[in-house]
Amino acid sequence: MPLLQHLCQLLNDSSFGTMIRESDYAYSVIESVHVLAITLVVGTIAVLDLRMLGLVLRPIAVTRVARAVFPLTWSGFAISFISGFLLFWAESAKMYTNPSFRMKLILLALVGLNPLIFHTTIYRRVHEWESQHVTPWRARTAAIASLTLWGGIVIAGRAIAYF
Amino acid sequence: MSLHSWFIALGNSSLGHAMQTSKWDFALVEMLHLLALALLGGSVLVVDLRLLGVILKGESARLIGRDLSRMLIGSLIVMIVTGIALLSEEAGKCYFSPAFRWKMALLAAAVLFYFTVHRVALLRSDNGGPTLWSRTTALISLSLWLGVGVAGRAIGLL
Repeated sequence: MPLLQHLCQLLNDSSFGTMIRESDYAYSVIESVHVLAITLVVGTIAVLDLRMLGLVLRPIAVTRVARAVFPLTWSGFAISFISGFLLFWAESAKMYTNPSFRMKLILLALVGLNPLIFHTTIYRRVHEWESQHVTPWRARTAAIASLTLWGGIVIAGRAIAYF
Repeated sequence: MSLHSWFIALGNSSLGHAMQTSKWDFALVEMLHLLALALLGGSVLVVDLRLLGVILKGESARLIGRDLSRMLIGSLIVMIVTGIALLSEEAGKCYFSPAFRWKMALLAAAVLFYFTVHRVALLRSDNGGPTLWSRTTALISLSLWLGVGVAGRAIGLL
C-alpha cells in the first residue's frame, strides 16, 4: 500500500474520523456548512470576475471591487477548507481512490495558480487599467479561467458522491 | 386539477422518468442548480452588505443593485428550471415534505421582498450611508435567502 493511502486509512480509522462518519448529524451538518462556504467563495469571486469582464459594476474601479470581495472570499475559503478537511477525515480511505476527489484537488491547485500568475503580471500595472470598463485581454483571460475553474470545482465536488 | 395532482403529473412526466432512471441526468441538473446557487448567493451578499454599509460604501447602491440584480435574476431562472427537474424525481413525496413547503414559502417571500421593499431601499440609499431602514431590509433579505438554502438542504435530510 502506498504511504499516502496508508495515511488516509489511518485518518479514516481514527476515532475522530469514525465519530464524524457514524454520527447521525455531524456529517450532514458539516457538509451543509461546506456548501454554504463554497457559495461564499464562488459567488463573491464571480462578482469580481464579471467586473473584470465588464459585465457588471463598470463605473466602479476593479481594485475597489477586489478590496470589497476579498475578505469575503478568503473567509469563505477558510471555512470551506476546514469543513472540507473534516469531511475528508471521515471518508479519507474512500477519497483516496475517488476520481472526482482527485480532480477537485487538481482544479484547486490550478485555481490557486491563476491569481499567482495574474498578480505577478497584469495586476502589477492595475492602476493603469483599474477604471477601464472592459479590462485588458490578459485580465479578462484570468477572469474566464477563474470562473471556469471554480465552476469545475463545484461540479467535481458534487460528483464525489456519485463514485 | 388540484396542486397535488400537478405534482403527481410532474413525477409521471418524461422529465420525471429521466430524473428517476438516469443517475447522471440527475447529477448534471444538480450541478447546474449548485452553480447557479453560488452566483445567486454572491449577488445577494454583495448587495446586502452594501445596504448594511459594510462594503463599497461610497459607491451607488442603485448601481450595485441594478447590475447585480441581472446576476441574481439570471441565476434564479436557472435555479427554478433545474429545481423543477430535481423536483420531478420525487414530486409526489416532496409535496408532503415540510422542508420543501418551507423552502417554497421562503422563496416566495424572498422574491416578493426583493422586488418591493428591497428595491425601494436600494433606490433610497443610492450614494448615502446605511440607515436603520436599509440595514433592516438587508438583514431580512439575507435571512430569507439563507432560509431558502437551509430548507432546501433539509429536503434531502428529513
